[in-house]
Amino acid sequence: MATTKRYWQDLGELSDAPQVPTNEFNQPLALPDALGDKGLTGATTGRRDFLKFLGFSLSAATLAACETPVIKSIPYVTKPEDIVAGVANWYASTFYDGEDYGSVLVKTREGRPIHIKGNPRFGINLNTAARKGNINARINSSVIELYDSHRLKGPQLRTGESAWNTVDHATADKAIVDQLTKVAASGKKVVLLTNTVISPSAKAAISAFRTRFGGTPVTNADGTMTAGGNVSHIQYDTISHNGVTNANLKSFGLRVFPSYDLTKADVLVGVGADFLSGGGSGNENTWQYSVRRNPDNMSRHWQFEARMSLTGANADERVMIKPSQVPAVVIALHDAVARRTGGSAIGGSAAEGLSDRIEKCATELAAAKGKSLVLCGSNDEGTQIIVNSINALLGNYGSTIDLTDPTNFFQGDDAAVQQLVKDMNAGSIGALFIAGVNPVYTLPNGAEFAAGLAKVGLSVSFSAHADETASKCGTIFPDHHWLESWNDLSPKPGHYALAQPTINPLFNTRQWPHSLLVWSGASGSYHDHVRATFGPMADWNQSVHDGGAEIKPVQTLEITPRPFAGDLASAAASAKKSAGGAGAWEVELYTTEGIGSGQHANNPWLQELPDPITKVTWDNYVCMAPADLLELTGKQHVRDLRIGEQDKAYMVKVTANGVSLELPAVPVPGQTPKTVSIALGYGRGANGEDVGRAASLRDADGSVTVIGKSAYPLTSIVNGTVAYDAVNGSLESTGARYEMGLTQTQLTGMDRHSIIKETTLSTWRAHDPRGEKDEQNGYNEKVMLAVHEDVNHDGHINAHDKVPATEVDLWGAHPVEQVGHHWGMSIDLNTCNGCGACITACHSENNVPVVGKDEVRRSRDMHWLRLDRYYSSDMTHAKGKTEGMGKIERYLAMEEPSASPSVFFMPVMCQHCDHAPCETVCPVAATSHSNEGLNMMAYNRCIGTRYCSNNCPYKVRRFNWFNYVTEKFGEVNPAWDELGRLVLNPDVVVRSRGVIEKCTMCVQQIQAGKLAAKKAGRPVKDGEIETACSAACGTGAIIFGDLNDKDSRVAARFKDERAYHMLEEIGVKPNISYLAKVWNREEKPELAAAVTEEAHH
Amino acid sequence: MHSESSLREPLILGHRTYHDITVDLVKPIEDKAPRMWYILITIAAIIAVYGVGCILYLFSKGIGVWGLNKTVDWAWDITNFVWWVGIGHAGTLISAVLLLFRQKWRMAVNRSAEAMTIFAVIMAATFPMIHMGRIWMAYWVFPLPNQFGSLWVNFNSPLLWDVFAISTYFSVSVVFWYIGLIPDFATIRDKVVKPWQKKFYGVLSFGWTGNAKAWQRFEEVSLVLAGLSTPLVFSVHSVVSFDFATSVIPGWHTTIFPPYFVSGAVFSGFAMVQTLLLVMRKTMKLEAYVTIKHIEYMNIIIIVTGSIVGVAYITELFISWYGGVEYESYAFINRATGPYWWSYWAMMTCNVISPQLFWVRSWRRNLMFTFFMSLVVNTGMWFERFVIIVTSLHRDYLPSAWTMFHPTWVDVGIFLGTIGIFFTLYLLFARYFPVLALNELKSILKTSGESYKNGTAPGHAVEHHH
Repeated sequence: MATTKRYWQDLGELSDAPQVPTNEFNQPLALPDALGDKGLTGATTGRRDFLKFLGFSLSAATLAACETPVIKSIPYVTKPEDIVAGVANWYASTFYDGEDYGSVLVKTREGRPIHIKGNPRFGINLNTAARKGNINARINSSVIELYDSHRLKGPQLRTGESAWNTVDHATADKAIVDQLTKVAASGKKVVLLTNTVISPSAKAAISAFRTRFGGTPVTNADGTMTAGGNVSHIQYDTISHNGVTNANLKSFGLRVFPSYDLTKADVLVGVGADFLSGGGSGNENTWQYSVRRNPDNMSRHWQFEARMSLTGANADERVMIKPSQVPAVVIALHDAVARRTGGSAIGGSAAEGLSDRIEKCATELAAAKGKSLVLCGSNDEGTQIIVNSINALLGNYGSTIDLTDPTNFFQGDDAAVQQLVKDMNAGSIGALFIAGVNPVYTLPNGAEFAAGLAKVGLSVSFSAHADETASKCGTIFPDHHWLESWNDLSPKPGHYALAQPTINPLFNTRQWPHSLLVWSGASGSYHDHVRATFGPMADWNQSVHDGGAEIKPVQTLEITPRPFAGDLASAAASAKKSAGGAGAWEVELYTTEGIGSGQHANNPWLQELPDPITKVTWDNYVCMAPADLLELTGKQHVRDLRIGEQDKAYMVKVTANGVSLELPAVPVPGQTPKTVSIALGYGRGANGEDVGRAASLRDADGSVTVIGKSAYPLTSIVNGTVAYDAVNGSLESTGARYEMGLTQTQLTGMDRHSIIKETTLSTWRAHDPRGEKDEQNGYNEKVMLAVHEDVNHDGHINAHDKVPATEVDLWGAHPVEQVGHHWGMSIDLNTCNGCGACITACHSENNVPVVGKDEVRRSRDMHWLRLDRYYSSDMTHAKGKTEGMGKIERYLAMEEPSASPSVFFMPVMCQHCDHAPCETVCPVAATSHSNEGLNMMAYNRCIGTRYCSNNCPYKVRRFNWFNYVTEKFGEVNPAWDELGRLVLNPDVVVRSRGVIEKCTMCVQQIQAGKLAAKKAGRPVKDGEIETACSAACGTGAIIFGDLNDKDSRVAARFKDERAYHMLEEIGVKPNISYLAKVWNREEKPELAAAVTEEAHH
Repeated sequence: MHSESSLREPLILGHRTYHDITVDLVKPIEDKAPRMWYILITIAAIIAVYGVGCILYLFSKGIGVWGLNKTVDWAWDITNFVWWVGIGHAGTLISAVLLLFRQKWRMAVNRSAEAMTIFAVIMAATFPMIHMGRIWMAYWVFPLPNQFGSLWVNFNSPLLWDVFAISTYFSVSVVFWYIGLIPDFATIRDKVVKPWQKKFYGVLSFGWTGNAKAWQRFEEVSLVLAGLSTPLVFSVHSVVSFDFATSVIPGWHTTIFPPYFVSGAVFSGFAMVQTLLLVMRKTMKLEAYVTIKHIEYMNIIIIVTGSIVGVAYITELFISWYGGVEYESYAFINRATGPYWWSYWAMMTCNVISPQLFWVRSWRRNLMFTFFMSLVVNTGMWFERFVIIVTSLHRDYLPSAWTMFHPTWVDVGIFLGTIGIFFTLYLLFARYFPVLALNELKSILKTSGESYKNGTAPGHAVEHHH
């Protein structure tokens, strides 16, 4: 029933007659008029229509003004031939920065380099056994430095005390050439100070420069002529190895750094030599070492050292010595070896208390004559001559040491650099060009160098940043990043590696040899120059493709090795002198795995890479023996020295060579008492120099916190070379405390055998490793569980009815066995040396945020992959029980590390459990299992309850506590600024605040690999798909593959005698397995002494 | 009419008529609130506002403003959650279980206990909400139909069970509480004279007429709801305990948890009832209705549940030793002797030792002592949850992941804030709602009223028992 009253308007309407007119206001819409030529004034559009248009337009405009995120995706106008959007291109290249060297593959996406891994086909760093290029963390993370927005954008001319003018190259070139011409005319010296140049093209450029500006040629001693006597080229290694090269000159007449072949060394002795870390051929040493850590063919490794180095942590026998004892140990070892090999002894060694170990070591060395190697880390010439003599006595030249084919690394000449400093201060240097080194920061007398620099008329730096040295020069010609450069590099005679650019230069920069060429009047690009230098030695295109060429047959070696001819007596005298005057405290300076010599201070991935031993990030510190620190602080237990969120480190003041340094002290078990070790490479930009985005921490208020302190002032010149030990030091407590960020605060493994499994070589050998897997092998036994069932059929149900704990299961099996793929990973704890290259590779591949020191301090590091480090303790359950200790007492004792512990490294990432505890507890099913055995994480679905992380027995899940991308610690986070963001991998989403993230087993690589195989119409080949960590692991410790592929390497490793799952007994069925660590030592392993006894209870 | 032994202590003291009860209980609503009430609600509201501010700060920055870390992903948030849920337990137990057991003394305490339950559950529910990293997606925990195809909640997750358990518990508690309030609202409606009050309580009373049919239905509904709520008393905290019991973390993975959590909840719930009632009794002059006997009864429940909790603690320790599992054994030794030993011993002292003091009759009838003990018990129960959550997580399987948890000012601020909100709500309740179930009290007046029992009530003779 209609309730609205209706009114009729005419009689027709009332009478229901046809209404005329049917539409009283039948007019066409005014729109055509309004929009027509007549315009509004002449239109018939009424007021109401106008308001309608107005209203519509206003609301439409308002709506349109609402901000929607605009993501620009611009297609190529002309698509480059080789670039397909979404498909990565890999280019072979070579890394060299005077410190590290490696042949690499660079991954680019849409023209941006985003990831670096070792070249698996070419290079001295190629692990021929595992077919992987071995590169360290510094190399694989160097890609992020390309996108450092603090790099200089173009040539800088000084216009005032601290004022700079950015100019174009033409202007700067003209200024330089003009001044150089004047300097050349004045007869003053022109000096090129560079790191060790191993590039033939750069050397050619230097020659051209000499010819142009060097004035009259000079006659050399051997009668040859060198052009440009006024120009000299001085090479300077940031971390000097001049002692070794000088020793080789005196011993063999060759001023070279030798090539080592660790694969041939059955017995390996390091005396203060951190040969697995450090630069130069470190990447070669590492893979060679790992090949011989396989128990099938295992080397025996002795290490005498003060600091628990990465190398020492891997040693079978480690002896703690003081830096001042290095010459004594080397002499004693020499004499012990000489007695056994018929050589002549030096005598007079005073290695107190060490003779037992030295004699045993010498016996083993002598037994492995020709298959042994003694390496010493000392930079003292005399000490190294004695080491050369030991190796000569052992017949190691020609087998483990190659002098006929040495390296071209470490040509630095400390004496020449010191002379340069004198000449500069004397005002006799007219022009100084500095490339690849930072002497103001790294020289023992950096301040003196800086003072001299002011007296040099023309000072030019080629640094990419206005760093400590460059900021004091008159002109800066910023160099390309290496990924923007062409280069040819010859690390060894006959080995030519090529570096090709993978991106156009981002800024107005130029390679320094190219600048020399330009000033010398050469035309053409540097590419032309490199190609011309390379010449017809090999096919250019193929060589660029491969990353270089071996041109051994063409190369005629000019060097002829001579037998050892060193003067041992004077060497010993000089070696002893180097350690003379030892005081109460001795200071040893070293470089860390991450920051190294300090060149890469602007790299946030390296700053956040925990030190393999101490697990400290974003700081350098004083490594102290726990006993010493206990004495200093008056504490009773090492556990009381733990550095955590609220437990600040104790500050100490170390004084040596007249220089004092206040740094936090970190207790490091294995550090020789009364010695301290401090890392070099920190304290960059201490005087306000801008050395890169992550090189110093900027607070919200704009204040700058320098990361660590520079220890270079503690170095000194001893016997003509830089000494990295100061034997007469002092140490005092300052009473201050200091916050530090450690990714692991616990020191020991607490005698937990289902985490740490290790054994000795003899125990391992006692069981046939290739036969049926022996569950009773004494070191890798299954955990048994008593069940209420008569499983042993003895007629009784009792505690003897046991089944393997993994067989008791509430769960249905996941359909991953035998069907499709079943991805798995195996990690060999023997070949893993703890270097941490996998961590930075994972960062780079998976856009893992850098969270900064403060967050690390709060135990919020974001590493998807971490390296657990456990020190052995003197206490075990078994030992405590026999001593009648109570359980509480035992556990407390187990928290105390040994004074000279074994170190156990364990890479831990998501274990991809088939029965994952994280998956069941997520209320929204954000984490689930794939039918290929992967534990997957849907970030979009995650609401951030963190229950999964709580329930993860391995604690591998990481939470975005803040919006790390844009808000918190954006200063150091790569995704923060426009430029830094270019390093992100577009295949991996950047996680927002409030979600959990974790290792995905690089699922993007798995998908890409499966797709490639599918397109090719073939099954996925073993080794075709690599995760970032497995690709980065040049030692072959980490292997990824398909467990359902019976022929895969990973499937074979899962059946290995040593294979075990971490925490196997809790039944989560991980898809990561570990191979138990085997030590080549006689005594029972300290960490897992009681495994047999415990397991049989 | 039931009759009750004269040996039983009366539950309503002095001489009270039905009218007296109405007057006594409606008076605070009619009158201007006492000065104390204004002081208290101001303090509570300031704390509440500070807490809300902390929560907003949390929302704006992220969970990182708490002290949590990669190893300890829950700490004060879930501790507070479980603590508040536990406190919320007494209400339902009193209203449902004691109703079924015909415990007449419940009449004086059930209303405020139920109110406390509701406010505590609201506070409890706050924490699982705000502890989410992406709170704006919080509704995803509900099985809502969506356009994403098969995207659904994970019914395996104990956290999802919590969602159902807490929401069911909350809704049933609210209904139970409100239905009980209806006749009382009607009484107030009839008593008050201010027009807005008449209107307000008129709406709240849902047009209660008070005829016999209505009373009969009221009784039936109460009984049905009591039957419905009783299993909830046990289910809620059992489900909450599943968050821990079904996990793999040593110290969490314990089958003893459901009964242990339930008794702990009742324990802490009664303590909180004591705290609130003792203050209310004094400030609102309800000594005649909330007698020493009431306090004593509740203290007896505290002894019983506290002892159950103590046995549970000791059982846990025994099993960790008897089970011989390395990790579990360490988890419990670490609780007692590790870096958080102080929280463990605070828990043991407050929860195991202190309730045993109530065996002394004079102590359990002492109001000041009871008040002090109620605070001690609630402190202890907070530590219990802290111990379970934090000490289990901070040192679990892999020593490499071991770390410490340190709360931040935001952790503390939000916890205090919820206490502020809770008391604000409770004070509003005490001011505007009948704090005792006056109609239910009337039902026991003639059986348990003092003057009726001893025959001093005018017109009532003492019944002679032969």
